[in-house]
Amino acid sequence: MTDELVKPRVSAPLTERGARVEVGAGARLWRRVWPPLMAVVIVLALWQVVVTVGWRPIYVLPAPAAVGGALSEMLVDPKFWSALGTTLARAFIGFGISVLIGSIIGLAVSRSRILRSAIGSLITGLQTMPSIAWFPFAILLFGLTEQAITFVIVLGAAPSIANGVVSGIDDVSPQLQRVAHVLGARGMRMYRYVMIPAALPSYLAGLKQGWAFAWRSLMAGELLVIIAARPSLGANLQFNREFANAPGLLAIMIVILVIGVMVDSVFTRIANGVRTRRGMGVVRL
Amino acid sequence: MSILKLSEPSLVAQPGPTIRITGLTKVFGRRGQETTALSEVSISVKEQEFLCIVGRSGCGKSTMLNIIADLETPTGGSVDVGGRKVGMMFQDANLFPWLTVEGNIDLALKLSGVAAELRKDRIQELLETVQLAHVATKRPHELSGGMRQRVALARTLAQDCEILLMDEPFAALDAITRDAMHEQTERIWGERALTVVFVTHNVREAARLADRVVVMKPNPGRVGSESLITIPRPRTMEDPRVAEAAALLHDMLHTQEMPDD
Repeated sequence: MTDELVKPRVSAPLTERGARVEVGAGARLWRRVWPPLMAVVIVLALWQVVVTVGWRPIYVLPAPAAVGGALSEMLVDPKFWSALGTTLARAFIGFGISVLIGSIIGLAVSRSRILRSAIGSLITGLQTMPSIAWFPFAILLFGLTEQAITFVIVLGAAPSIANGVVSGIDDVSPQLQRVAHVLGARGMRMYRYVMIPAALPSYLAGLKQGWAFAWRSLMAGELLVIIAARPSLGANLQFNREFANAPGLLAIMIVILVIGVMVDSVFTRIANGVRTRRGMGVVRL
Repeated sequence: MSILKLSEPSLVAQPGPTIRITGLTKVFGRRGQETTALSEVSISVKEQEFLCIVGRSGCGKSTMLNIIADLETPTGGSVDVGGRKVGMMFQDANLFPWLTVEGNIDLALKLSGVAAELRKDRIQELLETVQLAHVATKRPHELSGGMRQRVALARTLAQDCEILLMDEPFAALDAITRDAMHEQTERIWGERALTVVFVTHNVREAARLADRVVVMKPNPGRVGSESLITIPRPRTMEDPRVAEAAALLHDMLHTQEMPDD
């Protein structure tokens, strides 16, 4: 009788209640990979629909399968790899010089009031200038040479990088600077140990944007500045158009897109890592 | 014997004070619309004294601390710390978010010119002082508010300062954490023979911690009264004598006449 009045509540054993489904590495990877994969599938499907409908003749707008074929053919062609090598070397050199110049100018502008009022707004102005507008002048200055391309890449990318430095340093919390001052940080040591590390997230954002500008400028440059006997992705693009090879053209475009996205995602990953370590970033609510 | 004695204002003639503030004046703002944050403030702080400064917001207490710490320049008057090293803590811990707990203390040691091979032991010792050795490799955002404030304290002590300025350092902490911080601060003050200037708007905190309390008046900021707290240590916030002293300080704070105009 009593055992009917007082019933102990039986709760499920902890192992059952708190059992967490262990997520394997494969499942985690899948969770990250499926959304972009889905997007690609949708784009390919739409593309196929447009081709099937016959909006444009097939020799102008080939089907995804034809482009896929051209792409896989291209990827085993050593000439493609040497063209890719040329383009990547240009990107590497151009972006490297941009980082160097952009960082130095950014630091100088953030430190000096005179420099800031002199060229601060000029930097932002340069950022809005389409880099392709520089090419006629660059070709006049340097001829159809590597320097012409590098010149325009640097003009396109360095302002973004400089701006990243300047806004990063402008945004360092005044309170943090006061703390550092009391701890004895002055002049160069304040910059080295406090201002520059604090500005890092903004600097990385500047690098990321600078890379986007550099890559765009480079492609514009390779279309305009075609150097004999130096095949590059941009030059190949132009040749494919001249020979009306639409699948080959689109295959190169895919390569250009993929490289741009890959480099960008490296920057994004670094920036996210930095933000997470500092406890910054979007909170899921 | 009373727990709180009104003392003669400003013992300027006292031999060799650790901090000597004379006629300190600070005016903010442009010509024509100046605000006087501090007006002719003179205070002397004795060696190893625990001085609390209480006052309403706008009475210039933080400004005075900033001037002692060389973060602001006075409009008039002077502050003399006799070349002693000054450390300062703020209401917010302001740890460097890109560094770990260890890294924050390491940087403070580096900026004080401590050689690399000595720093490892010093970090360990400082973390033990604030009882945080177990979070050495954590990042600031992973710590609670009280822990962050203790790291900030360790970072300040890393400079080997003789004078410790504290600007409402525990105002944002919960009561239990704050009590623990009071004990740690008091212990470290004794162990390291520090001279402490502690700014707060909490009269009870002042009565709990101080040897002497300076009550400041606003508009313009100036010294209202000075009192010695004679309650023997160790004290607690719950001590009725602390409460009583706090009530007296509270009256001093609130019976202040407003300026004529």
